[in-house]
Amino acid sequence: MATQAAIPFVEIEALRVKEFIPAAKEALSSLIAEQGQAKVIRPMFNWAGRNSLFPLHWGLACCAIEFAAGFGARWDAERFGVVARSTPRQADLMIVNGTVTWKVAHKLITLYEQMAEPKWVIAMGNCATGGGPFRTAYSVVPGVDKLVPVDVYIAGCPPRPEAMLDGILKLEQLIRERKE
Amino acid sequence: MQPDDLARVLAPKLGENLLGVEPFEGMAGRVRFRREAALDLFRAVRDDLSFAHLSMVGGIDWVDHREVFYVAWSDAARQYVLLSTDVPATDAHVETASVIWPSANWHERETWELVDITFDHHPDLRHLLTPEGYAFHPLLRSFKIHEPEELEVKTRHV
Amino acid sequence: MSEMWINMGPQHPMTHGLWNLRVRIDGEVVLDVDPEMGYLHRGIEKISEDRHYNEVVTLMDRTCYVAGLAWEHLYILASEQALHITPPERAEYIRMTCEEFQRLGSHIMWYAAFVNDIGLMSPFLYGMRDRDLVLDLFQSFTGARMTYEFMRVGGVRNDLPPTFTYQSRKVLDWLTERFREYDQLCLGSSIFHKRCDGLGVLKANDCIRHGVTGPMLRSAGVKRDLRKDRPYARYAAVDFDVAVADGADVTARYLVRMEEMRQSIRILRQTIDWLDHHPGPVMAEQLPRWLGAPYAPVGREGYLLKRNYAKGLGFSAVEEPHGEAQAYVVNEGSEHPYRVKFRSPIFANLSAARQYLVGYRVADIPPIMGSVDPCIGEVDR
Repeated sequence: MATQAAIPFVEIEALRVKEFIPAAKEALSSLIAEQGQAKVIRPMFNWAGRNSLFPLHWGLACCAIEFAAGFGARWDAERFGVVARSTPRQADLMIVNGTVTWKVAHKLITLYEQMAEPKWVIAMGNCATGGGPFRTAYSVVPGVDKLVPVDVYIAGCPPRPEAMLDGILKLEQLIRERKE
Repeated sequence: MQPDDLARVLAPKLGENLLGVEPFEGMAGRVRFRREAALDLFRAVRDDLSFAHLSMVGGIDWVDHREVFYVAWSDAARQYVLLSTDVPATDAHVETASVIWPSANWHERETWELVDITFDHHPDLRHLLTPEGYAFHPLLRSFKIHEPEELEVKTRHV
Repeated sequence: MSEMWINMGPQHPMTHGLWNLRVRIDGEVVLDVDPEMGYLHRGIEKISEDRHYNEVVTLMDRTCYVAGLAWEHLYILASEQALHITPPERAEYIRMTCEEFQRLGSHIMWYAAFVNDIGLMSPFLYGMRDRDLVLDLFQSFTGARMTYEFMRVGGVRNDLPPTFTYQSRKVLDWLTERFREYDQLCLGSSIFHKRCDGLGVLKANDCIRHGVTGPMLRSAGVKRDLRKDRPYARYAAVDFDVAVADGADVTARYLVRMEEMRQSIRILRQTIDWLDHHPGPVMAEQLPRWLGAPYAPVGREGYLLKRNYAKGLGFSAVEEPHGEAQAYVVNEGSEHPYRVKFRSPIFANLSAARQYLVGYRVADIPPIMGSVDPCIGEVDR
């Protein structure tokens, strides 16, 4: 489906720790000299980023319960490297799981801005995607993409934990293809 | 407890401010009163009729007037009672019940911000559910919410 | 002065929902508390005024998302009174079964979140595993894990599948064993006792003055349970005890909720036995045409808008897992309710926060709030 950006493979023969670091440095610089920075560093960062997505420990509404169930034993999200972090400074993924109201909009944008680059947003559930069953309400933002840029939308009311994991895997696919 | 028992205790306290006690299925009765006698009624309901727990205060917008209703529970009688008063739409205020039942505090805040009924001498009448400075009272019938326009949605399938 | 106001929320691992607990602290000691609600205010009461009576049921699931069927039951009872409709007996037993399984699901979710706040991480996983079994049962007859849309005015949407009673008995047997394990993990731990004993005390008269109901009230020694005091559905016909504890602290609330789960299992065994032996209709027969169109044996030509039908008022009160919930439905003779007003138990429990949080330390706030069991969807509606 998508083109695989292959992670370069280099064999380093070193027997002692003291020898390993200079040998690795030399191997890496010669690889970059050969193939160019984009083909060496970017895939490594993408691999690291997509296999350790840390979502913000945040639950807005009903989808948060399925988000929590996704961290339970049956749908173990941690096997994908997904570990919820309590502070946005340590998170790189914000899963907006529930209805966004105008009252919380400012706080949501603040949390998004507190996250460091690179960061991604998953809109989980119908409310985050487009307002959901509450779209006609006076206090509801019709979709979180009115506030922050969204990378993946997961439909459902609420989406099952498998759907949430599928959304995370789709995000990993997007990160694999990241060029800059 | 029957509506007659309620009337028998409340009529001497309120006199003509008691507009009537009607039967309401599942409750001791529905007490309709004039808002001028609010505090007297609350005191009588709490002390003489021992409805010590106030569960709910709400407002209804009937366009030409508004209704404030209270639901209280009595542990002794194991029953609810419904108290209801009408306030004119142009002058929608009633005395606060929070001096009698502290549980009315947040309910009255919500009723004020949603149905625009002011509760006199409330200790802290400010926004609870709607944002601070929100200029509307959403549950009034004059506040219309609209169906969304059709949106063109482009999706990208991965 | 070292006093300051700090925000615990709306994003905080402790909060269990979208609200802000502003605390004024002097070092570690809490001096004052000001909960800030409304971050999840979705205008459910306003939207319901534009919805058909049966369509409001979808919003009730989302009002309190861990106890959806209890809130559906609440709204349906009030609507049936306002519309002068009586459901058949089997529907009432199915609703009771739903509500008691929902109580199990909600309390297990409470347990998982509460012990996670205290620092015990493994019971969180045990709780989620067991709650998934209850959700599997819900999925078998409603089709969904969390937002069921199962009850209708006049009955329920469909009857239970034939394997339901067998599967549910197995789940109940499994859960009875697991609750012993939960008690061992918590009550057998001295850390749990050090963190929870004597915390968040709210005595009985304070509870009643501030409108606190449910497990918080029963942990203070007041034996009030709407299923016994004002029975609805067929609770008068089943045998169970009311869970009460003394102490009014976090440990007492833990004990009350664990005992409520055991009593729920007791009720469920009786209702499942009844359901096994009493087949019958699950929807009222004489539904008005405009109400029954897709769900009763009348044609769709009865589904006309904005006619004048009999008016009514409906009030219902349900012993929801978090406390006493109430609904007041005003029916002015059209297909849409004129006004629906809900009373959430957690609304009252959180309004009393000053009483049970002031004087303790900041580190005590997660266990205390965990024992209050907030579910903000129903507070903000």
